[in-house]
Amino acid sequence: MLITCLPNVATQVGAYRIMSGNKFHYPVGNPDLPAEEEVKWRAELLRSALKVLQTPVEAPTVFEK
Amino acid sequence: MAKVLHYLNQFFAGIGGEEKAGQEFLFLPKPAGPGVLLHDLLKDGQIEYATVVCGDNYFHEHEETVLASLTEVIAQFQPDLFIAGPAFHAGRFGLACAKSASFVRERFEVPAITGLYEENPGTREIGRHVLVIQTGSSAASMQSTIKRFAELAVLLLNNDQESLELFKEEFCLRIPRRFTVQAAAADSVRALDMLMTKLRGEVFESEIPRVAAAPHPVPAAIQNLSQATLAMVTEGGLVPLGNPDRLESSRGTKYFKYSIEERDDLRPGEFEAMHTGYDTSTVNADPDRLIPVDAMRRLERDGNFARLHNYYYVTTGTGAMPAKMQELGVGIAEELSTSGVNGVVLTAT
Repeated sequence: MLITCLPNVATQVGAYRIMSGNKFHYPVGNPDLPAEEEVKWRAELLRSALKVLQTPVEAPTVFEK
Repeated sequence: MAKVLHYLNQFFAGIGGEEKAGQEFLFLPKPAGPGVLLHDLLKDGQIEYATVVCGDNYFHEHEETVLASLTEVIAQFQPDLFIAGPAFHAGRFGLACAKSASFVRERFEVPAITGLYEENPGTREIGRHVLVIQTGSSAASMQSTIKRFAELAVLLLNNDQESLELFKEEFCLRIPRRFTVQAAAADSVRALDMLMTKLRGEVFESEIPRVAAAPHPVPAAIQNLSQATLAMVTEGGLVPLGNPDRLESSRGTKYFKYSIEERDDLRPGEFEAMHTGYDTSTVNADPDRLIPVDAMRRLERDGNFARLHNYYYVTTGTGAMPAKMQELGVGIAEELSTSGVNGVVLTAT
């Protein structure tokens, strides 16, 4: 699965499992949070990514976080 | 009566093999070699058919002379269609076909077609508007190729635009290159015209050809995540500090894997991002913001999946050639697959 801030581009090139990242220059970062909060936030984001990996798709699909 | 001019090398014109590669430019007022069959197939159209022949070496050693002679022939014969080859995978002939067809199309605006195997070096010299029928790699496919030539010739001579588009779609090589042309108006004017056309809901055509992504099979969903090995991949250019393998910071042509074994997170000062396509400072301050080792370790420890692969894979995705990226992607996917990895989280900047 792909984490990107340009899901429309990812769809156009035919990636199948797509999730929006936070910012395009730190897709799985959240520097506004205190360090430990950021790790928790990131773990939740990746937990969603794991769900995406388990989801059957037939065409490029953009998943919500 | 329509006129067709056909370009051949010494071999296909039946003059001789390598020993005749120095054959000078020659005009024949009749079809020769594969042109005989092509002329036959076009017979209903009352075609006046002529051939120009040039040795493979002679063309490249005396290109200006050959094109000057070709200019004279065009001026006298006044063809409605120029055909070169087919050259299949023959390198020198393919280049000569590409150059002569491009020259004739560009200089005289005579429709020009050729036939090349996709890896023929001639494909890199194809000019604007020259139609290239995709052929097999050897002359074994001559008969079927010449039939295609005949179909295309008829469409061009009849100016059948609709069928031409369908033919191009099905049988012609896509030449995804940009050409230098003189435009009718400045770019700002053209851009606004295009925008207005779009806003009016009318059909418009972009000046930049879009490279279509090749379709690929849908990766199956992971059935049993608790047994799965997962890997992380990024195009964000994250490498060990000092970039020991010299990953390019743009127009990447390589990928690397780096160990994260026994790491619970990626610390600043140990990794850095090589990438001219984004501001890398936030990732450099905490590389987990690109390759999320810390989060993945937590999920691994909590039993969400079996194992995090010992390496992450990286390339640089900015300013890169799609064909090269596809090649790198295949390489990474093969390595991961043979390492027993079941799923990938790929972060893109």
